[in-house]
Amino acid sequence: MKRRDFFKTSATLGVAALTFDKLQAAIETKTMMKETVSDMVAVMGGEPAQLLDMALKEMGGIRKYVKKGQSVVIKPNIGWDKRPDFAANTNPELIKALVEHCIRAGAGKVTVFDHTCDNWQKCYENSGIRKAAEAAGATVVPANDEVYYREVKLPQARILKSAKIHQALLEADVWFNVPVLKNHGGAQMSIAMKNYMGIVWDRTYFHANNLQQCIADICTLPKKPALNIVDAYRCMRKNGPQGRSVADTRVLKTLIVSKDIVAADTAAIGLFNQVQPMDIKKVGHIANGEKLKLGTQNIDKLNVKRIKI
Amino acid sequence: MKFNTLKTIRLTLALLFFTPLLLYFCDFTNILPPLLHGLAHIQLVPAIMLGSVGILTALFLLTVLFGRIYCSVICPLGVLQDIIAWFAGRSRKKNGKKRRFAYAKPQTALRYSLLVACVLFLIFGITAPVLYLDPYSNFGRIAVNLFRPLAMEGNNLINWIALKFNNYGFYHVTIYTITGLSLTIAAVALTVVALTAFLRGRLFCNAVCPVGSLLGIISKFSVFRIVLDPSKCTSCGRCEKACKSQCIDSKEKTADTSRCVACFNCLNKCKSDGIAYRFALPFSRKQELHDNPHTSRRSFLLTGVGAMATLPFIPAWAKTATADRTKLTPITPPGSKSLTHFKKHCTACHLCITHCPQQILKPAGFNFGWEYAFKPHLTFYESAFCNYECTVCSEICPNGAIKRLTAEEKSVTQIGIARFDIERCVVYSDRTSCGACSEHCPTRAVKMEPYEGALTLPRVYDELCIGCGGCESICPVRPVKAINIQAVDVHQTAKKEQDEQIEEVDGDRLDFGF
Repeated sequence: MKRRDFFKTSATLGVAALTFDKLQAAIETKTMMKETVSDMVAVMGGEPAQLLDMALKEMGGIRKYVKKGQSVVIKPNIGWDKRPDFAANTNPELIKALVEHCIRAGAGKVTVFDHTCDNWQKCYENSGIRKAAEAAGATVVPANDEVYYREVKLPQARILKSAKIHQALLEADVWFNVPVLKNHGGAQMSIAMKNYMGIVWDRTYFHANNLQQCIADICTLPKKPALNIVDAYRCMRKNGPQGRSVADTRVLKTLIVSKDIVAADTAAIGLFNQVQPMDIKKVGHIANGEKLKLGTQNIDKLNVKRIKI
Repeated sequence: MKFNTLKTIRLTLALLFFTPLLLYFCDFTNILPPLLHGLAHIQLVPAIMLGSVGILTALFLLTVLFGRIYCSVICPLGVLQDIIAWFAGRSRKKNGKKRRFAYAKPQTALRYSLLVACVLFLIFGITAPVLYLDPYSNFGRIAVNLFRPLAMEGNNLINWIALKFNNYGFYHVTIYTITGLSLTIAAVALTVVALTAFLRGRLFCNAVCPVGSLLGIISKFSVFRIVLDPSKCTSCGRCEKACKSQCIDSKEKTADTSRCVACFNCLNKCKSDGIAYRFALPFSRKQELHDNPHTSRRSFLLTGVGAMATLPFIPAWAKTATADRTKLTPITPPGSKSLTHFKKHCTACHLCITHCPQQILKPAGFNFGWEYAFKPHLTFYESAFCNYECTVCSEICPNGAIKRLTAEEKSVTQIGIARFDIERCVVYSDRTSCGACSEHCPTRAVKMEPYEGALTLPRVYDELCIGCGGCESICPVRPVKAINIQAVDVHQTAKKEQDEQIEEVDGDRLDFGF
């Protein structure tokens, strides 16, 4: 063993031992060592599963995020009773691929849910997500009733000081935030930050008390997703969040993955702007999120990997 | 005691009809096959309301051939009474006493007055008397308002236990669709029916029930019937004691077939072979034709006088019923065509209330007028509105009060129109983004239009609105929402927004954009 390697290893072990109770810190230490891992990966030009494979590889592989025996929650957008080609919900193939990755990494349990807007059973069926997720070995659980939610304090939030969060997410070891890229009538855009609304019970409060701030506030939930995986295979260009017809969608065949939720949303809007103009300033929750130190809009500062297949 | 084949067949058939219908009325998960609503369709009152000639003919033939088999097998309230009486009888047996019946005089005036009242009111388009007396509708209300909540709470208990073990195999249901009034009417009906069943057998069916009375008229002439053989009968009274219709007079050696519900309980009680269910021509026996001529004539007259007395009032009542225009107008289910059509055909069996996947059909109180009491109307609350392409209620309504719709028709059936109140809207009052109403609108009837800066304000396009309540259900303003559905009395066909042409993106030119 080279002397330099020996020192490196000892130092790492030392750091890891010191912060053993903070697994997060240990992972970050490891990230710093492996300079190949990017802050953000965008992959374009493939099928959903293929895009995910490439992106995860660039992000250090699924095993970096999911350890053997851990329970995992995957939170797609299943808000609407729409077919997959409306792009109102996350692509079921992407969810299927992600569940498969988690199971291969040895996840003890993979759970999928969303607090839907339309009738939850219809959303779960017609989005194709229940079938896809279950086929890959996930458990798809309901989120349609207050009994599934538990009050959580949000000390960093400006307005939304507490919220009722789905217990499956609170109990999970790891969770992935898997939104679809959409236009949105109220919030202007619905991407990773907006997708948090599906883990919350009382969303009326958001609408009644400054929606754009509340969306940023809910993202201060201490339990952060391991990754934000933005499905832009097919995006909803306008008439969001439900869309009127397939004519409202555009096929972009892209996936954006990042730990930084603000950066992920910023990048996604950049991509979106090529098919439909959208001023990021109008999407107030992104700037609000940056103010709450949830991430950065300055993507150039980050180590971004762009891959075209 | 001899084996009673006919009674065994009757019991088997009754349970085969009753159990699925009971379960169907309690099936809040919609897992039972939809074809079970056929069991509701074959009920007499729904068949009359729907005007189903086929079912009415079949029921007529069944009765004219075999007597009131309907009351013992098909009618769920009849079977429910038998079940209650059976349980009650069992508990009594422990005390050493067994319940016995004795012949009772027919309540001819009462039963036919009620029947005539029901018919007359129906002719004038008023369903109220039928609504309160129809056995099927009463059974429905008992099942939906009393039994279904028990099933739902049972489910919630199981779900609660399962959740402790991190098992999500069940899901919690919250009961929204029961009102104090609907619970009361169901409880009253159950109490009345249970008490009469326990004390006087089928008294309800033979004194109150208009279906029983109507079928009783037909069963007077039934081809197969209970007959006492005067040459063999010793007037021992064994059959009489077993007769829950209290229609066997062992002293006179007669059975009143208009009250007999063909339960066959009497058949194996006779020790001398003096009673039989067999082919017998109507009026072949003297006693039956002249069964107490004075009472029947008196009853007939009484009934006639009673009916004549109410007659002049009915048109006036009908007028108040249709002209009852309080400010509130109920939103009637899609497929019900108009408020008038719905009021005329619905007898409040509450089957649609059980099966509405969104639990937005709720029994009304007296707030929409007495003619609308207990009938379902649409209510919207948090995340609950009429699913865009859902046609469940229209598929199962046995009365034809809600006519069948295809998903295509449903998605343009306008049952109401959204009314936007800018003064209440948070975009106007708090200057914040919202758009929840537009977000939930499945037809794009509520559009967010430029307001101030980045703010957008909802605007309703009436011709696109179907009144599903998506907007109202999600509007965050309390207590009165900023957008509300106003019913339309006669349902209209909404326009569909035209789809745009799909412009293909030039894949080569597409880049990351960041």
